[in-house]
Amino acid sequence: MAEQEVPELETPGLRNLPLAAGVVALVGLADSVYLAVKHFTAEPVPCSLVEGCEKVLTSPYAEVAGVPIAAAGAAAYFIAFALAVLAAYGDGRMWKLFGGLATLMAGFSLWLIYLQAAVIGAFCQFCLISAATSLTLFLIFLTSALISKETSMK
Amino acid sequence: MKKQEKPKSGMPLLIIGLVFVAAIIGAIYLYNSGSGSGTTSTASSNSTAARPTPNMANAPAGAPVGVNMLGSQTAAVTVEEFADYQCGGCAAVHPVMKELASAYAGNRNFRFIYRHYPLAIPAHDKSYEASAATEAAGLQGKFWQMQDQLFRNQAAWTANPNYRQIWSEYASNLGMDVQRFQADIAGIQTKNRVDADIQRGRALGVSSTPTVFVNGKPVPFSELNIASLRRIVDAEIASVASAQQSNAAPAANANQ
Repeated sequence: MAEQEVPELETPGLRNLPLAAGVVALVGLADSVYLAVKHFTAEPVPCSLVEGCEKVLTSPYAEVAGVPIAAAGAAAYFIAFALAVLAAYGDGRMWKLFGGLATLMAGFSLWLIYLQAAVIGAFCQFCLISAATSLTLFLIFLTSALISKETSMK
Repeated sequence: MKKQEKPKSGMPLLIIGLVFVAAIIGAIYLYNSGSGSGTTSTASSNSTAARPTPNMANAPAGAPVGVNMLGSQTAAVTVEEFADYQCGGCAAVHPVMKELASAYAGNRNFRFIYRHYPLAIPAHDKSYEASAATEAAGLQGKFWQMQDQLFRNQAAWTANPNYRQIWSEYASNLGMDVQRFQADIAGIQTKNRVDADIQRGRALGVSSTPTVFVNGKPVPFSELNIASLRRIVDAEIASVASAQQSNAAPAANANQ
């Protein structure tokens, strides 16, 4: 049976974090798929909590090299979900990869929030949901890293 | 770090696969339902069941059935825009109208009707044909998508002699049958729809674009911004609700 060195995920309190990350990634996936479909169908997106959804979703920043950011987000959330599931089943290397991806996604989300606030001057509620989920994924990973560090120091 | 086994069961891959399939099915469902329900394009199918009757849509008597509408068919508040695809102001107002439709999406008291009003001036030489192109897209269930493309990319096609090729590319990108689209642009069905909107605009005294009415009251161009339009629509909704309440009160008293 193949055995290899993998990061610790057996510490009490850590086991459920990949599961939680998987659930959060699913929320982000659903949100991104919805936005991506609306982008392709060019239909209005409900905008009841904030104002400016259309301004955000039809801005030049909604696409990068012809690819809708929402579609790229959906792909990223799906990969994050897959990595979290594999980690939940004990593959610690996947959790490390998840951490790298979650960090990138959180950084990108912060940039998108900056764009909405400072450049576009409007917010889109579904974009904010996506930002919240990606930041939550990063916080979940950060929590696991801190608990691991604390445990190893004991 | 310690020695740890890789996951032995196929369960994680099964879960990942199921989620992948669910995401694809969900996207297809959203795509199909989004193109049909909630939007009433001119002739996305031969059925008129999802379209308002001419009377409901305030269309002129005798006009062909079917208008381009977003929102509830029985809404108490109707925002009606007359626009021209080669009008810069219309392109500028387009995101505002989309924003407005978004803000009230799902509100049963609101609906948005888009009307073609191609101005017969030399600088707008492709405007009528552009209206016909969106109606042709509507025949394939893509009215709003093509309308969005034409407004968003107005600068790219408006002065381009190969504009028909550009529109065909939009149609192709939208997954339409391009040959059918090209044939439909010159078809009588699309022409009738555009003419019906022009007829309605003339009846209302429209002389420039964009012209927007909220329950038949013209909105000044200076107020065609999201904040003002929301204020006007909210006031109309409140006024309708208040009238409904006052009508309901005597009826309730009469029943006592």
